[in-house]
Amino acid sequence: MMKTSDGVVDEEGMEMNETDAPETVLRIYEIGYQITPALKEEDLEKIVGGIRSVVEQAGGSFIAEGAPSMMKLAYPMPAREGEKNVEYDRGYFGWIKFEAKIEVAGTLEIALKQNANLFRYIVFQTVREDTRAKMKAPQLREVKRTEPLKAAPRRVEESAAPISEEQLAKAIEDITAE
Amino acid sequence: MSNNILTQNDIQHVDYKDVDLLKQFINPHGRIMGRKKSGLTAKQQRAVEAAIKRARFMGLLPFIQK
Repeated sequence: MMKTSDGVVDEEGMEMNETDAPETVLRIYEIGYQITPALKEEDLEKIVGGIRSVVEQAGGSFIAEGAPSMMKLAYPMPAREGEKNVEYDRGYFGWIKFEAKIEVAGTLEIALKQNANLFRYIVFQTVREDTRAKMKAPQLREVKRTEPLKAAPRRVEESAAPISEEQLAKAIEDITAE
Repeated sequence: MSNNILTQNDIQHVDYKDVDLLKQFINPHGRIMGRKKSGLTAKQQRAVEAAIKRARFMGLLPFIQK
């Protein structure tokens, strides 16, 4: 038995080496959460600290974070406050991006589910780079608006380029003649 | 010259928190635009769809708008 078990161990050891790589693979996750609006702003740090400690205990490292801030929800969300059913129209929205082992996602999911102060959360895999678009909304709208306007400056350029001093003089003459 | 916003602005990743960007890809009812209308590549369209759905779940965007 011992010999066979040793053999098994060896084999497992070999397998372990092979499977070691995926086990130690670090992935980048992001969590987003909505904290109940019933809480005061002073208490937010505690709750965020609680979420952070779950990641820290599992050996995760933080990449970026967005502090929770009050925002209006796009639609009313049903939630349970103690024993009452309530509908929230606002909440403190925050997010954390971190790098951790694969198992952390599961443990974090459980921890967030048990956290009564959060009425909604999301955990998903992402990339290390900053995914937020650099441009701003008004620029976007400008881009949209300039599409039909592009014709106008082009005409100006076209007409501006060929205008020589002679043509200018002619034009002035025409105007003055009138 | 591609006509889509993501390529024009050189956006590689679509974040669900970029509500103003995502709003460009939903119609007044809150529905996600089709590829014909958005002009996105298949890859971009999938990324935008995923981001919009995350944003909806987190209450950043509406599921439906009257």
